[in-house]
Amino acid sequence: MYHKTTGYKIFSVFNYIILILAGLACFLPLLHLLAQSFSSKAAIAGNLVSFWPVGFNTNAYAITFNNSNFTGSMMISVMRTVLGTLLSMTILTTAGYALSKDFRGRNTLMWIFVFTMLFNGGLIPSYILVTSLGLKGTLWALILPGAFGAYNLILLMNFFRTIPKALEEAAFIDGASFFVIFRSIYLPLSLPGLATVSLFIMVGHWNSWFDGLLYMSDPADYPLASFLQTVVVQTNAQSMAMSQSEVEAMAEQSVKAAQIFISTLPIIAVYPFLQRYFVKGIVLGAVKE
Amino acid sequence: MKKAGSILLTAVLMTGLLAGCGGKVGSEGNQGSAGVLVDGKYDPPITITIGKQLDENAGKYFEGESLNDNVLTRWGVDNLGIKIETTLLGGDADQYNNKLRLALTGAEKLPDIIPVYDTMLMNDLIQSGRVKEVTEDIKNYMPERLKEIYKQYPTTFNPVIQDGKVYGMAISPVLTEGQVMLIRQDWLDNLGLQAPTTIEEFEQVIAAFTNDDPDGNNKNDTYGFTFSGKDTYNTGWVSDPIMIFSAFTGKHLPSKWQLDEESGKLVYGSIHEGNKEALATLRDWYSKGYLNKELATQGAWDAIADFTEGKAGIIVGRPWLYGSVSAVETNIEGAIISVHPTINGVTGDRTYQDAQLNDGVFMFSKEFDNMEAFFLYYDKLYDAAFGTGDFQYGYAQGYDYDIVDGEVVFDPTLFNEPLDSIQGVGKMAFTKNGPAIGDAGKDFYDLAQGVEANTGPLMRANAADETWKAGYVISYENREGLLPNLFNGPPTKTMQSNWEQLRTMELETYTKIIYSNVPLDAFDDFVKQWYEKGGSQITEEVNEWYSNASEVDVMSSMGLE
Repeated sequence: MYHKTTGYKIFSVFNYIILILAGLACFLPLLHLLAQSFSSKAAIAGNLVSFWPVGFNTNAYAITFNNSNFTGSMMISVMRTVLGTLLSMTILTTAGYALSKDFRGRNTLMWIFVFTMLFNGGLIPSYILVTSLGLKGTLWALILPGAFGAYNLILLMNFFRTIPKALEEAAFIDGASFFVIFRSIYLPLSLPGLATVSLFIMVGHWNSWFDGLLYMSDPADYPLASFLQTVVVQTNAQSMAMSQSEVEAMAEQSVKAAQIFISTLPIIAVYPFLQRYFVKGIVLGAVKE
Repeated sequence: MKKAGSILLTAVLMTGLLAGCGGKVGSEGNQGSAGVLVDGKYDPPITITIGKQLDENAGKYFEGESLNDNVLTRWGVDNLGIKIETTLLGGDADQYNNKLRLALTGAEKLPDIIPVYDTMLMNDLIQSGRVKEVTEDIKNYMPERLKEIYKQYPTTFNPVIQDGKVYGMAISPVLTEGQVMLIRQDWLDNLGLQAPTTIEEFEQVIAAFTNDDPDGNNKNDTYGFTFSGKDTYNTGWVSDPIMIFSAFTGKHLPSKWQLDEESGKLVYGSIHEGNKEALATLRDWYSKGYLNKELATQGAWDAIADFTEGKAGIIVGRPWLYGSVSAVETNIEGAIISVHPTINGVTGDRTYQDAQLNDGVFMFSKEFDNMEAFFLYYDKLYDAAFGTGDFQYGYAQGYDYDIVDGEVVFDPTLFNEPLDSIQGVGKMAFTKNGPAIGDAGKDFYDLAQGVEANTGPLMRANAADETWKAGYVISYENREGLLPNLFNGPPTKTMQSNWEQLRTMELETYTKIIYSNVPLDAFDDFVKQWYEKGGSQITEEVNEWYSNASEVDVMSSMGLE
């Protein structure tokens, strides 16, 4: 049999080795971070911590959860991710459905969208636009500018196109409107595509830090990623006239590690729930052409 | 069901949209409220908005505190009737500069107080016409004790002077402490060596640290000297190789402008012929393994790691660097760090370093009309340095100092409510760090001379470790080796177009020579090319600026003479 040949076995072994290495490459940095977050200051500074805490303590987590700036930023990130993903998906699925059909002016519309993939206004015009729309300092400055993405649109549009026309025609004969077809046939059949695109958008929102720094003037409005950016960034100041205790406070690595680690958790938690939709092939066998 | 779901979704989105719009409108526009100064306090309280490069306390505030509501801002409201509000916050230096630039492009308000750390940006702000000329304000409102300080540092005004007008002032100018050499004393003792004072002795020590197993573990896992050459070969604060260069070039420090004694003109340090010998030396040491292998990829802060881990034996940095590397004494049994002055040059003269007189300048929005309030607040921040008033021991009891059984303590683990590390209240202020006075660690020198620790600053200094104190004493004793960069104006015309390219070429040449990727003679080519690609033009422009700067007298019009 095919999978018992020597060649296949060798391939399997290599396959596993490479996959395990790739897995470790993702997992070990996280583990290192976790170990650091539970370790003592001196041990971290001396690079004694690898994958197991040295000088175990939980102070970093106590500081983090008592810090209203951290928890506040976390809430903002959750809000922006949920709202942003919902909004984006509403726009993208409806637009993608419409554009997967043929109608007059469709190509012109597509060219306009593709144009935004190739060129964008740049930092200063975008900033001025957001500011003069009165969005600066609001959550919408983080959501609206990126709500529509041509790349995701094309992805969804192509997904909708793979759904057999015959299904739609059958529904028409049964008296369904475009919207009913969209809701009852296209969306349920495109779950893998929806899950993929949602995950892209979600991760994008969760990790995006630059817009937060740019459009929020009060750090209390920072999303988590922007907040972490300010925490992690090393003060390159040739800081002047510091006292000994100030210098020691500067080297607080464990708190940073704890905060970074906590910030990765939500995405890791969401992933397994979306993963089951990544299984393709639901449409197979629905109709014969 | 499904219809209900989509209606709900729309509703959620709409609510959010409306809520978002209503959100933050109220927070601006409470400017210039007519607070009146009564007995040193504004009533009703006024608000001053500020820009801040980086909130270093972001991850560590106590419960319920934040950038705009913390122990220091509360103190300001309660005692001065001045509320400080950060309306423009950056991240690292570049992000902060970008945000300031963006604020300039849009029609939005600048913060009242704008700390600026980049000379080009200072120039842009002045050109934009949106910052205030402060000559008169300094004359009228600057308190006497601050005037005494600013009088000592006239050159710090250079970057903010245009056409004889002053558009800002240095942020807490002071001669900052110079760098010292930190050595693993236990390694010296194991090998029977003395701390080096000349370049020959230095070579012997780093050779022994590399080859003679100074930590006695029978492994070849140590080397001599760690420093950083990633962004510059003159870092100015930690992991600095500057003493090796200065040993051959004297006062002509790489990447800085100093006066050439013969011609009386400013010349650029990196093209001085002595650098060639310095590079030859470093190249030789690098090939023998005496130096940090990754010196060209590690930034100044990263390059200290090898010392902290017990791999490298010598590092140069500001005396406080001891606080950042002392973990090696905790982690490795028997490890002891000792501090020494930097080595002498080949001519027998001392080696020099770059002096820092200030970190950035304050500029003020044209719409800000309450300089009196600014100076009132600024002067109070100096209380911690003078050891007077509310801040005589520190900024906040239980944050950066505490009083336990009638004794002032600075060690956070001994506080009434012990902390892992202190809360840097000085870093919450608009000065970025609490202001300091007294040249280059004078407090420590005075203590060493037997002065009694009877003021807050002296008590704070006295609470430090012995090694820490010794470092500052050395730093103070050697303060004559500190040379301020004589060109501190805005980038000149040719600099704006060519400087980036010249700097890259310089750094690449230096690094490639040290790594033995190109022959040593590449240095001569570099100097030739440097002149050709705009260097000679820039030198002229810099000298033109210099002769103008030394002519213009603005100090007297500010009442600072």
